[in-house]
Amino acid sequence: MKNPQFNYHRPGSLSEALALLDEHGDEAKVLAGGQSLLPVMALRLGRPEHLVDIGALAGLSNITAGPQGTTIQALVRHAAAERSTDIATHAPLVSAAMPHVGHRAIRTRGTVCGSIAHADPAAEMPAVCLAVDATMVAESVAGTREIVATDFFEGYLTTALRPNEILTEVRFPAWSATAGGTVVEISRRHGDYALLGLACLLDVTEGLIANAALSFFGAGGTPIRVAEAEQTLIGRPPNDETFAAAAKAVTEHLEPGSDIHASTNYRRHIAGVLTRRGLAEATSKIGVPA
Amino acid sequence: MAQQTSGLGFTGQRVKRVEDERLLIGEGTFVADIQPEGALHASFVRSPFPHANIRSINVAAARRHPGVAAVLTGAEVNAVTNKFVPFITMDGLYTPLYQAMSDTKVRHIGDPVAIVIAESRYIAEDAAELVEVDYDIVEGIGSIDRALDPSLPQLWEHADGNVLYDGTDTYGEVDTMFTLADRVVTETFTSHRQSNQPMETRGTLVEVDPVTGHLTIHAATQAPHFLKWAVAALTADQSAVSSLRQFIGKKDRRKAFAGAAKDFLKTNGEKMKKADSSGQTYQMKKEKGLLKAMSKMGLGLLAADDYPTVKSIDIGGGFGAKGPVAREDIAVVVAAQKLGKTVQWIEDRVENLADGGHAREEVFTLSLALNNDGTFKALKCDLILDGGAYPSFPISNAATKQLLKVYLPGPYDFKAYQIRGRIVASNKGKVVPYRGPWANECWVRERLIDKAAHELGRDPGDLRLQNMIGEDLPRAAMITGPTLDETNSTKKTLQRAIEMIDYDQLAIDKAEAERRNHRIGLGIASYLEAAPGPPNFGDSVSPGTDMFLFEDGRATVEADGKIVVYTSQSPHGQSHQTTYKQVTADEFGVAMEDVEVVWGNTDRTQFSLLGTGGSRGGPLGAGVLRMTSRQVRQSVVREAANMLEASVGDIVIENGNIHVAGVPSRGITYADVAAKVASTKGVKDGPVFEEELKYEGVGNGGWSVATHVAWVDVDLDTGQVTIPRYLVVEDCGPIINPGIVDGQVRGGVAQGIGAVFYENAYYDEEANLQASTYMDYLVPTAMEIPRIEIEHMETLTDGENDARGTGEGGMIGTPAALTNAVSDALGIEVNEQYLPPARILELAGVIEPD
Amino acid sequence: MTAVPIGETLDVSLTVNGATVSVDIDPRRSLADVIREEIGLTGTHLGCEHGVCGACTILLDGEPARSCLMLAAQAEGTAITTIEGLATNGEMHPVQQAMHEAMSFQCAFCSPGFMMSTIALLDDNPNPSEKEIREELSGNLCRCTGYESIVEGVETAVKIMGPTR
Repeated sequence: MKNPQFNYHRPGSLSEALALLDEHGDEAKVLAGGQSLLPVMALRLGRPEHLVDIGALAGLSNITAGPQGTTIQALVRHAAAERSTDIATHAPLVSAAMPHVGHRAIRTRGTVCGSIAHADPAAEMPAVCLAVDATMVAESVAGTREIVATDFFEGYLTTALRPNEILTEVRFPAWSATAGGTVVEISRRHGDYALLGLACLLDVTEGLIANAALSFFGAGGTPIRVAEAEQTLIGRPPNDETFAAAAKAVTEHLEPGSDIHASTNYRRHIAGVLTRRGLAEATSKIGVPA
Repeated sequence: MAQQTSGLGFTGQRVKRVEDERLLIGEGTFVADIQPEGALHASFVRSPFPHANIRSINVAAARRHPGVAAVLTGAEVNAVTNKFVPFITMDGLYTPLYQAMSDTKVRHIGDPVAIVIAESRYIAEDAAELVEVDYDIVEGIGSIDRALDPSLPQLWEHADGNVLYDGTDTYGEVDTMFTLADRVVTETFTSHRQSNQPMETRGTLVEVDPVTGHLTIHAATQAPHFLKWAVAALTADQSAVSSLRQFIGKKDRRKAFAGAAKDFLKTNGEKMKKADSSGQTYQMKKEKGLLKAMSKMGLGLLAADDYPTVKSIDIGGGFGAKGPVAREDIAVVVAAQKLGKTVQWIEDRVENLADGGHAREEVFTLSLALNNDGTFKALKCDLILDGGAYPSFPISNAATKQLLKVYLPGPYDFKAYQIRGRIVASNKGKVVPYRGPWANECWVRERLIDKAAHELGRDPGDLRLQNMIGEDLPRAAMITGPTLDETNSTKKTLQRAIEMIDYDQLAIDKAEAERRNHRIGLGIASYLEAAPGPPNFGDSVSPGTDMFLFEDGRATVEADGKIVVYTSQSPHGQSHQTTYKQVTADEFGVAMEDVEVVWGNTDRTQFSLLGTGGSRGGPLGAGVLRMTSRQVRQSVVREAANMLEASVGDIVIENGNIHVAGVPSRGITYADVAAKVASTKGVKDGPVFEEELKYEGVGNGGWSVATHVAWVDVDLDTGQVTIPRYLVVEDCGPIINPGIVDGQVRGGVAQGIGAVFYENAYYDEEANLQASTYMDYLVPTAMEIPRIEIEHMETLTDGENDARGTGEGGMIGTPAALTNAVSDALGIEVNEQYLPPARILELAGVIEPD
Repeated sequence: MTAVPIGETLDVSLTVNGATVSVDIDPRRSLADVIREEIGLTGTHLGCEHGVCGACTILLDGEPARSCLMLAAQAEGTAITTIEGLATNGEMHPVQQAMHEAMSFQCAFCSPGFMMSTIALLDDNPNPSEKEIREELSGNLCRCTGYESIVEGVETAVKIMGPTR
């Protein structure tokens, strides 16, 4: 289990990095934290011809968070996001996801944007992005474009990012003061990829749910929002009965896969359980920073 | 003899580990840590298919790859090596013969077909990808059901289908008892494939002396002496005739052999007479080539001028997986010999998960005949073991089958017993001994007893007490033969365990759990283990087995007074260095630092077939060193008595001070006595006192026993199970070091928890391995394993080396206790061992299977 | 801008246990392999090489990291600490002393990773609860002990080092 050969590039600037990607196209891979890419390479399941190591680039490690929204740049590690009180205040769903991402030694190296760009369907961050309608900022030599989460996650480990683009930042919209959110999941062992998980939020005004998001991971090739279940929540009070109705809608509409760890029926069942648990927890977090 | 040393009393104390002094600071010497200048690195080309014929193999591109020293195909390696021949034979058992690599046919994913040697492992892996193998795919056998289907392809041409053994053993009037009994309780139990998974994978480094050709093999092996033998025998590359000629021409070898044979016959003559040769006859009949293979190997061994030196310093766990000789070891030796260079192979985790050793894929149909008052009458079992593709060498799962046969009745009283056992071949990685290889005897028996208790409306603990051998139900032997004595204190552990269960609290907790949509359950399991067992244990397994069960120990005092003891054990986590120092220091009456323990170098230690395994390190390994040290001490005391002009009986030793009782100020030291003897003998260094002993344990017992109790909490929303309490009441006799015994018990329980809730070396029906990385083979973490409560009982006997083994027990009781607890929690009869959350919810009726 | 074509090597400089080290390596080599084979510090172990077992955990600029999941090239300019860097003047680090006292390990192959994770934990949280200890250590696999003795080792370290930092 040793990495295959590759041409190693350590660009000195983002523009150099983008030029390299433009030159090598889909023969190149961006190396940031490497926590997803390197095991794939060691197992020789992936063998990029060119590796563009952006880890040392300056100016890509900033977190900007405020009432207008939160921006996390390409080289912000999970550990930094986990520790950020600004993120806890202004993008609490991101903070809620962090403890679930692997183990600490993984979080100290892995990057938030890397996790999003890798788009593992069982990972937390893509589902969080989908839940809050995050915007992915992709840069290439041709310029910058913004991709909304609903367009970004296209399939299993596949995103709208083009081979010559780097996900330079992810932007989370302003967090409503009346919203609460959480990330809940079931995994075989602590720290494993989830068998199935849920990033959810509720916005409650005058005792009724005004807005809701139920974004599942581990339920298909991409993170999945269950609009039918979200609709059942709107205009209802946040209570067990409401949540049970949403859970029922979730189990009716979700069609997760099966593998050696869990069956489709199991995943569908716990999707309902997590809907109830997640919504109750999200409600309890309204007005409480993560 | 009366107590001669004060014994500083290390034995029995929680003495901290001396191994830590190097291991905790990063200065251990594991095989991958040995990195001689210029060593080459091996990588294997392995089959991606479960079952296929090899049409052709092309290594040209790999050989041309820069940095590659050699690429050897399976055929090239096999041409210069011998077949692995069966070590364990039984009437009706066909054991396939195989070689270091596969050349015409592959039989499991990961089956090695070529070896690449290069400057680095990176380059070796690059080149391995350039090897082109043309496979003709054959249907794979991925389950026991498919192995039993005669219409499917067979793995071995000389076998009858894929069933390699089918035999029945009967004790007493089984059919009569089944007819007379009030009722029969029957269940079919299925256990899944598990893997030992030591944190250090396998590994071998072979050095070739440029002048003499002598091999030094550094290996992560539990049995260095057997590896030495196996390498010599399997690489004896010449015809039997020329080996014989060579042997006859060498007077020294002949003399040495005759001497060894004479010694062996002297010790084992009686045992050999009992040994049953029907197994060999059967095997010969099935495979005409066996005699040729055996003589080539055996005579090659005799003719060899020089055996390899095997060294194993630090080993990162084994749990049985590092006992067998790896096929890869032989291929690496061949490569090193061909190149005349040092070659290292460090198995990676993907290789290890595919072929580092699996275990316990077994199906049992078990029937218990009993009366309505709860009295057990007889037991019947139909057992099928999946042996995987290649039998492990030397201990194949034929031994597991035999051990299961002996252990299945456990500590209970039965009037009759019958077991039919079958071993099947499948296209899966090889099956190796794994910590209590026979452990499923406990699982199926204890599970069935619970089922019987439920049917009778009895308390499971109470039904066990009624039928368990003990003071109120004395039996001199198990129905399968082994003698029982007071060391079979299983019933006492059960009684103590029941006292420690708070049934009132349990009822409260159960009710409270239901309000959370959880279910709480309690499960009990008891077992006994021969560790080392009575003298007739080996015979009960297979007549003649006990020839190889002795442990050899050597103790010396060197010219400078240093005490050095030699063990043929090969520790890999069991802290032998610490415990052997404790025992030896007490026997000599010195401090632990005055004792050196030598292990893991076949040039310096005595032969042992088994090395470390079978819970032998405490009772036999420490036992023989105690006995041997005592003899040496007595010689020292005789000499000291002369020097002090006193009689032997007046000499005492206190903290290394050898003196006449009452006059410590006029004492002398081991160094003084050794110096005197050295000068008399005219030697400057090396041993001046020494003794070597062979030892097989004492008394009629040697039983290590326990009762496990598990409390489980099942979340009916998610199927997740936690273990709020886990109790082990165990009796391994007098404990040498409680810190180490507790660690062994807890480690075993943890593996049992892993087996039930997390780990599955899963293959599909076609034998495609699905758990090929640590993302899919789930070794439990600190979050999954609870604190484990241990109660020690320490039954003592008159025997002197009364310590009983404790390495395996933890894993034997756990699956039974846990599945009984889950059955209790869910109010159902669990008959499968693997219970991931999805399965729990299916069993609970919360979800349907897909 | 650094570019290393296939077959060529890269100079990497880093600080290891306080000493500056320069190695000239194939850039595909993992940090773990370089620590073990080039720098000669074999106390860092490789158990799975795909980031699950944690045996290869080191401290990178004070934070725990899997050295099997990093290219050595990515460690350019960083300061790393391995198990060999813990003892000072021949005296074990308090975490090592604690693990010895608690008889934490058996084969100890996993021990370097556990001790590095423990140091990182206690650095952040000098007085962790049992649950916090178990959570933090759940990124390290041990096959021998059942973990209880390792948890006790961490608790012993807290006693030796004091509950505040």
